[in-house]
Amino acid sequence: MDLILFAYIAAGVLILSLMGRSLPEASGRNSFLNTLTIIHSAIYLIISTVILVFVPSGTFYFNRYLFVDSLVTYEIVIASAIFLLSACYARGYVRSLLEAGEIKARELRLFYIAFNLLLLTVIFAFLCNNLALFWILLELTTILSAVLIVTLNAKENILAALKYVFTASTAMLFSIIGLIVLFAVTSRAAGSGTLNWDVLMREANILPPQLFTLSFIFIFIGFAAKAGIVPFHMWLPQAHAKAPSVISVLLSAVLLNIGAYGILRMYAVAHKTTSSHIISIVLIVFGILSIAVAALSMLPRGNVKKLIAFSSIEHMGLIMVGIGIGTPVAIFWVLFHTLAHALVKTQLFFSAGILHQQYGSNQFDEMKNALTLQPLASWGLITGSIAIIGVPLFPVFLSKLNILTQLAGYSLPALLIVLVLFLVVAGAFAAILIRTFTQKSESKYRTYRTSASMTIPMLVLFAAILLLGVYFPDGLHRILDNIVDGLGF
Amino acid sequence: MTETIVFSNIVKILFVFVLGTAALVITRRTLSSLFTIYSIQSWFIAIIAMILYLNNHAVTLLLIALLTVASKAIVIPAVLRRIQFSMNIKRDLEFRYLTPIGSLLVSAVLVFLVYRLFSQYLLTISGDSLLLFGAVIGISLTLMGMLVIFTRRKIITKILGYLTMENGVLLFSLFIAELPFIVEVLIVIDLIMLIVLAAILAFGIDSTVEVFHEKLNSFTNWFRDE
Repeated sequence: MDLILFAYIAAGVLILSLMGRSLPEASGRNSFLNTLTIIHSAIYLIISTVILVFVPSGTFYFNRYLFVDSLVTYEIVIASAIFLLSACYARGYVRSLLEAGEIKARELRLFYIAFNLLLLTVIFAFLCNNLALFWILLELTTILSAVLIVTLNAKENILAALKYVFTASTAMLFSIIGLIVLFAVTSRAAGSGTLNWDVLMREANILPPQLFTLSFIFIFIGFAAKAGIVPFHMWLPQAHAKAPSVISVLLSAVLLNIGAYGILRMYAVAHKTTSSHIISIVLIVFGILSIAVAALSMLPRGNVKKLIAFSSIEHMGLIMVGIGIGTPVAIFWVLFHTLAHALVKTQLFFSAGILHQQYGSNQFDEMKNALTLQPLASWGLITGSIAIIGVPLFPVFLSKLNILTQLAGYSLPALLIVLVLFLVVAGAFAAILIRTFTQKSESKYRTYRTSASMTIPMLVLFAAILLLGVYFPDGLHRILDNIVDGLGF
Repeated sequence: MTETIVFSNIVKILFVFVLGTAALVITRRTLSSLFTIYSIQSWFIAIIAMILYLNNHAVTLLLIALLTVASKAIVIPAVLRRIQFSMNIKRDLEFRYLTPIGSLLVSAVLVFLVYRLFSQYLLTISGDSLLLFGAVIGISLTLMGMLVIFTRRKIITKILGYLTMENGVLLFSLFIAELPFIVEVLIVIDLIMLIVLAAILAFGIDSTVEVFHEKLNSFTNWFRDE
């Protein structure tokens, strides 16, 4: 199994980097590289689905450095599905970027190589059983996504990417300190040091709580920076706004999840120690802080992608709150929220991408006559916004409602604060949407023709979001139950 | 017995030197001397790793020592000098929030706080006073590096702060030699920094993040022609 994986990965990367050079024409090169990327992502989706169905939970590979359990499969299915949708969308989107001169023909290869390597790194990061290896892959995702941000031929992108790499790497250095402490703690408590998730889970109850809390907090700083938790979020709005929309999708719907995944895993270990209470408080405080900062930053936004980026911070905050509550129900809905948030965010950034191509700007004020010019993208933005603030009949509603109910059992004042903040968020979205889609202009715009490769992923997302809002499949229920069980909640 | 005492005393003296270099990184204004200080700091850390290797023969320590010399004492300072040469800047005079003296006072407080916080916790892991000392110096070095990142405005000096932080982490990790993947982790960090430095060299980012926007307009042609 793993040998096949590796062989094919090596071959795939080699082919990608070598070929495409022979195609001189830019659009032909784009189609070719894109086709390879779509195939690559599709293979991953198939592999993760096969793992989901056939590989039993708790299978180890490579000297126990890689492993598969229900949480891993759930995350890699979501990640590879988002990557596949993005790869399809990129076909038309990157062609438009080429035509607009926003990306250079010679940077196409770099773009697609980084895209594919990011996919590879993300999947392996989820498969990691070892925290140090996970840390390394997490750092690699930072650098690869920074490369993807830079490929767009604008100068602000370099700054956004630098800020991203700097903030994330600085925070991740603290994680390393945490890992070293954790290793020392385990070697003291259990005889031999370890950073493997499975051993940590098994030996959690013998770890000295104070030292474990210390290491948790250090590790949390780095993972929180990757997940965009306030106050380590400084890189996020700029990076999401400046990146090409298809990359913003990956940043928001996939990469933030890895940080949150790391925190969830660490919390699952913490849950078995006596220090879980204090760690819960830490997570909930940082979660509410993130929601608050995001909500208050959303009100004055005029940039559609910045608005969506702040919404990501808000949702990561909610996920932190859910993890911090730590009841089985809360964890169940946190997992569902991860899926719902990923789908809706993808929809929103796809729509923003099309609108950007139409108007050459991300500013709401520029988007005149949007509903007639770009009905699909406009409706994508409208339904996406309605879905993301948690209106009933959309999937985010279910998870938000249930996490908040659980929060009520934890602390009533916290619930009230969060509710008020959500009201602010809803208000911000409503105000901006109404302003944007009611502005009219007499001037004629040339309609941007959306290619089929961009509309199809959007329609798929529409269907998925609408369906998931009203129908909760039994299979999904079972998977989420398994994960909650496996994490020991 | 006497050998161990001599060995641990040498290491302790080196720790103090490392801390001294960190103080210089915080206060010096001339870029070329900053690079030299960083290089010397890395040499000290490599020597500490080497001494520890001679003491307990863990191969990881030898690898770390060699890697530190190769990347942090030789390659990265060379790249930094190359960037400085191509940008023609000699001094970084801009500080924000804190003056150098203020930063020094803050870092003294930080060292003390780290000592208070960690001495009660880390003693439970190991009674070895050398380990405690190393851990405290390592984390202090990390925090002092972070202070450099916050107080300096030029990206190249910020990077020096980051590299100092990394040296602190390295010092901290030296005392738990069997830590898995630590060599790989260090390689990844160095690679990332080299990529960032290469990007800075390629795009000519010589000014601060804030002023960069205005300055970039003059680069427009340079970007187009490429």
